[in-house]
Amino acid sequence: MTAWSREALAQRIVEILREDILDVDERFTATSSLVDAGLDSLAVTQLLLALEESTGIWVDESLLTPENLASAEALAACVVDLAS
Amino acid sequence: MRGPLVPLTGADCFLRAFDGEVRRTAGASHLSQLVLRLGPGFDPERLRALVARVAEEAPILRAPIRRPRGVGAPVYDLARAARAPLPRVEVHPSAAAPPGAPRPLPEAFFARLNDRLDARRGELLRFDVVPWEGGAAGTDLALTWVHMLLDGAGSEAFVRWLDERFRGARGPGELPAGDGLGDVAPPALGAGRGRAAHAWQRHMRGLAARPPRSLAGPLRRVRQALRYELETLSPGETAAVAARARERAGFLTPMLFYLAAAIRAHAAVFEARGVDPGSFVVPLPVNLRPKGAEGAVFRTHVSMLWFHVPAEGASDFDALLERLKAQRRDAIKAGLVEAGVAAMDYARFAPARLYAHAARRSFGGELCSFFFAWTDRFLPGLASFLGAPIENGFHAPSVPPSPGSGAILSVREGRLNLTHVFQAGVLSDAERALLRARLRADLLGS
Repeated sequence: MTAWSREALAQRIVEILREDILDVDERFTATSSLVDAGLDSLAVTQLLLALEESTGIWVDESLLTPENLASAEALAACVVDLAS
Repeated sequence: MRGPLVPLTGADCFLRAFDGEVRRTAGASHLSQLVLRLGPGFDPERLRALVARVAEEAPILRAPIRRPRGVGAPVYDLARAARAPLPRVEVHPSAAAPPGAPRPLPEAFFARLNDRLDARRGELLRFDVVPWEGGAAGTDLALTWVHMLLDGAGSEAFVRWLDERFRGARGPGELPAGDGLGDVAPPALGAGRGRAAHAWQRHMRGLAARPPRSLAGPLRRVRQALRYELETLSPGETAAVAARARERAGFLTPMLFYLAAAIRAHAAVFEARGVDPGSFVVPLPVNLRPKGAEGAVFRTHVSMLWFHVPAEGASDFDALLERLKAQRRDAIKAGLVEAGVAAMDYARFAPARLYAHAARRSFGGELCSFFFAWTDRFLPGLASFLGAPIENGFHAPSVPPSPGSGAILSVREGRLNLTHVFQAGVLSDAERALLRARLRADLLGS
C-alpha cells in the first residue's frame, strides 16, 4: 500500500472501471457516482478483486456503504484508511 | 437481427432442459409467477384488450419454442406466432373477502403454478384474475410464465411496459430499449469457451464431494403440488433488516445475508427432524442483463453461483455469512460467473435430458438443498397497474417436488416480502412455522 496515495488510487479505480467493468466513457471521473454509473453486486466484487490485485488489500463488502461508493475518490479514501 | 427464428440464450436452454425434467417427473412445467395484490378499480377487460394488442406487437409472447429441423440451438419461431392463440386472461369467480382479515392467497394461483404450459405451441404465459367482492374489495392478479421467456427482472419490466402502454406513456409497437428480442449473438464455442465450460463442470463435481440432502429427499416421480405462503414485514422491521443486511453483507451485496438466513431456516427443520443434511448446496442467480438497458424484457439474462456449506457450518450466523462471502469472492475471482454462461451456452446444443441427468447424478438424486432468490425492490416507482393501486407484489417461482422448498425475498414499497414456496407434504405445518420463525429471527437479529 505504500505506493498509493488517495489521488493515485482513485485514478486507478477509474481506470479499472472504465477499461474492464463498466460501460462508461471519459466523462466518468473520480468524482462520478459509482452506483449511478452502473456498479452492481457483481461489478463491485470484480472491482474489489482488481483493487486487491493492485494494492494487496481486500476490502470487505460490509465496508461498502453508500458513502464509500459515492465516487472513486470516496472509495479510495476508504481503502487508504483501511491500510493505515 | 430480428429474423423469424430468434435463438434462446444459454440460460433459456438451461431452463428449457429443466422444464423438460419437471414435465417428465412431476407432470408440470417450470414456471414462475408474479403476483400483484391490487386495490379497487381494476378492470379485467382492459387487461384482456391490452394483452391482445401487445401480443400483436411482440410476437415472442406466443412464439412456439422448437429446434429447427429437430437439431441445432432451440429458437423462438416468430413466423408461427401469429397462428398461436393469444395469451389467456382468465377471470375467476369473485371471492368473498374475509371481514376484518387480510385476503388469503387465491387457490387458483397455486393451481396455475402446477399447470403445464405448452411452449412448443407458443403457450408461454397466462394471467389469472381473482376479484374480491366483485373487485370492490380489490383484485389479485397473477402473471405466470414459462421461465425461459422472462426472468424475474424481465417479468417486472413486462408489467411496467403493459402499464406504460395503458397510460399512453409508450406508443403501439414501441418496445422498451434493449428488449432482449434481437440482441443475442450465436454462442461462441471455441477452445476458450470449452475450457470455461469444463471449469464449471469441475466446480460442480467438487460440490458433490459432500452432497446435499433436501427436505423432500431425492427426486422421485411425484406430481408437483406447490403452494406458497407470504409473510410481509412492517416498514419498521424491514428497515431494521435492511440495516443489518447492509452492515454485515454490504450495501450492494445484501443477498448473502438473506441467503445465510434461508440456510439456517432450513437447517432448523433438519435439526427438528433429527436428520443430518450432510451439506447445504444452493444456487444463487446472478443478474447479467445488459447495463443501461431500459427494458431487457424477454429471455433470461442470468448466470448462477453455487454455494456449498457443510451442515455444521450453519450453526453460527456470522461465521456462515463470512463463509458465503468468501465462496462468492473466490467464485467470481475464478471466473465462474462467465464459466456458468459458457456451460449454459453448450446446453443450447445438448439434449435436455442428458444435461439434467448429469446434474442429478452428481448429487445422488438431489438437485440442491432448496431454491433461493433475492430480487431486491419489486417494481419500484410503479404505484398502480392499469389504474388500480398496487397494495403489494412479489414473485413465486415454481420449485420441483425435490427439493420441494424455496425462499424468495423482495421488498415492495419498504416492506420485505418473504415468500416460501413448498411442495405439499414436504413440510408439516409445525415445520413451516419453525422455518419462518428462524428466518424472521435471523433477519431481525432477535
